[in-house]
Amino acid sequence: MASDVLMPRLSDSMEEGTVLKWLVEAGGEVSRGQPLVEIETDKANMTYEADSDGVLLEVLAQAGDTLPIGEPIARIGQAGEASSSAAADAEGGAEPGENGGPGRDGAPEVGADAGPGQQQAHADAAPVPEPAATAVSAAAPEPPPPEAAGGNGRIKASPVARRVAGELGVELAQLEGTGPGGRILKADVEAAAIRGPVPHEEGSQEATDEPPREAIPPDVVTAPGVSAAPETGAKGEVTVQELTRLQRTVSRRMAESKATVPDFSLELDVDMTLCIELRDRLKEQVERAPSYNDMVVKAAALALREHPRVNGGYRDGRFELYSKVNVGVAVAARDALVVPVVPDADQKSLGEISRQARRLIERVRDGEITPPELSGGTFTVSNLGMYGIERFTAIINTPQAAILTVGALEKKATVDERGRVVARDMLTLTLVCDHRILYGADGAQFLARVRELLERPLSLAL
Amino acid sequence: MPQMRYREALRLALREEMQADENVFLMGEDIGVFQGAFKVTQGLLQEFGEKRVRDTPISENTIVGMGVGAAMTGLRPVVEIMTVNFSLLALDQIVNCAASIRYMFGAQVSVPMVIRMPQGAGHQLGPTHSHSFEALYLHVPGLLVAVPSTAADAHGLLKAAIRDDNPVIFIEHETLYGRRGEVPENAEPINFGEAVVRREGSDVTIIGISRMAETALKGAEQLAAEHAIESEVIDPRTLRPLDLDTILESVRKTNRAVIVEEGWPHGGVGANMAALIQEQAFDWLDAPVARVAGGDVPMPYSKPLEQAAFPHEEHVVSAALSTFRDL
Repeated sequence: MASDVLMPRLSDSMEEGTVLKWLVEAGGEVSRGQPLVEIETDKANMTYEADSDGVLLEVLAQAGDTLPIGEPIARIGQAGEASSSAAADAEGGAEPGENGGPGRDGAPEVGADAGPGQQQAHADAAPVPEPAATAVSAAAPEPPPPEAAGGNGRIKASPVARRVAGELGVELAQLEGTGPGGRILKADVEAAAIRGPVPHEEGSQEATDEPPREAIPPDVVTAPGVSAAPETGAKGEVTVQELTRLQRTVSRRMAESKATVPDFSLELDVDMTLCIELRDRLKEQVERAPSYNDMVVKAAALALREHPRVNGGYRDGRFELYSKVNVGVAVAARDALVVPVVPDADQKSLGEISRQARRLIERVRDGEITPPELSGGTFTVSNLGMYGIERFTAIINTPQAAILTVGALEKKATVDERGRVVARDMLTLTLVCDHRILYGADGAQFLARVRELLERPLSLAL
Repeated sequence: MPQMRYREALRLALREEMQADENVFLMGEDIGVFQGAFKVTQGLLQEFGEKRVRDTPISENTIVGMGVGAAMTGLRPVVEIMTVNFSLLALDQIVNCAASIRYMFGAQVSVPMVIRMPQGAGHQLGPTHSHSFEALYLHVPGLLVAVPSTAADAHGLLKAAIRDDNPVIFIEHETLYGRRGEVPENAEPINFGEAVVRREGSDVTIIGISRMAETALKGAEQLAAEHAIESEVIDPRTLRPLDLDTILESVRKTNRAVIVEEGWPHGGVGANMAALIQEQAFDWLDAPVARVAGGDVPMPYSKPLEQAAFPHEEHVVSAALSTFRDL
């Protein structure tokens, strides 16, 4: 029977040794006392001799390998004997004649136990009958005990589930099996394929670089599935709607953002009087004058250029600062939220921003937006002013550092320099910041700069 | 279509084949004057005379041996062993002679004989008289094995067995002799190696052998009624040759298989069939192939213990369910 050659302790202080050279090739015959291998210890290079006769079945440690003492470095046995893995299995299993009873009986029973009639199988080869109560109540099929799911990390899936998963491109690791012992079944794979692929986990460069929304054309993501069987209960009939891929992505990313980003909000009111004047004048010049939102985008873009961290992101313990200022504009689409991006917004004139934003919004609403138009945002502006919302906070579109929300433009009572209460056209801006990259003062300075630009809007027109 | 009992269908097949071919003759214990232990041969002695319906001594090895010799000379003997249990006494003739002679002599001679015998438990006959031996005979190359479960199959398969030039082990079932079923007028022989789908379904394939074809069908109805599981029930009808194609086609559809047999589990028909299914359809399986088999014990005499030692529909149901979920 084969035996392991272990890394020897060749000196008192030796803890590990390095194989320098095998003096016998694998497959070669060795006799007890024959020089077998040269080993480098902490003190010297030494030749180690074979401690038994036989054949060097397998070399486990190659020249250059360093192993702790006691680790197997080779196997010596008889010619034709199985090498390590097979031999190890044989030892663990049945060695007829040596182990006797349990080993020998164990082998055939594995197969029999796999199916019903399992109880009968206990009697196996032995002529001695089992106690009648156990042996005889036989025909009842009992499922085999659930296999250990973990252990070797193998995913427990049926053969057909594996095949179908391959065909449908479903990742088995993402699924929860409903079969016996948690086995993933074909039906689980097919259901997952209908739901669509689970989005990539965060952490991969690609996945976080580009917001997941960009991978999905909006026309694909509308029309949520409605399940066939409504439940009824205290809440009446329940209509269960399956999420579209985009909705699932949005829900996951929002929850993730809220759960991981230590956010805080800053808020201030902007006097829009001069912006209104500017817009009125522009209206005289062009058919479609820029909106107030366009002005906010332009002001934010200019401020972002001056505040690099706001135009950045926190990821994996680092700040990422982006050279381009690409401002995303959140747009409500059919059943979805889409954020088309105005690239290089700091470089563009107000008119260019306005035309581009309008075009993007139309394309979203028409369902024609394409992934490139949704990618690369470094900052986001969200506006609910048209619904009369005075102010609101939003969830940061990670890994961006902040999101700016725009409330309704309304006349409000304000106090002027002279202490008089006057009505002014006011707009509330809220900046929600990721505290890991933006501190209060950073956000405040940025927001103050945005206000300054909006209150002196000639700089926007440059 | 005429209704008749399984035993009457067998008798009809014997009569038709004896009328059609004068080389066909019967041998066995008590098949003539006594009209057969299970009355399969009733009336045949009167119709065909002592030359073609021969009562024999109680000596199974001799009965089969005479049959082998007669078959080698060109006759077509149909020998009856009173029950499958007694065929153990004739194993030398069956295995060493009937199955082997054609191969030993380079096909210069054939052994076109049929060995009919009923099997099955359930009659409190104890360990020596309750066997199910289809697996034993399936094991032997050179033998064909038929296991009819309906009157029509009993009729059609027996006709085919008599006409076949190979030795055929024709296993009937004591419990099925009284079952009524439709047998078409002038029915043709049923080809060996053609399984029949008794019930169509898309969720699990249940293969029932011999009487267990009936049990499988009952289990399937229970699965549909109580668990909304639609089973496809297949009766292979002959085990050698086996219509594996029909079974595989069904398993590829349902992704699950349950094999039901009355005999012992080790080395059973189900063990063999499960191996074939996983070899040929591994990538179509959603669960290990499940087996329902008799108890791995000599058959108890006690009625409750005997009932517990061979499969009933509830075992089929739970085996099928085990392919879907933890029980």
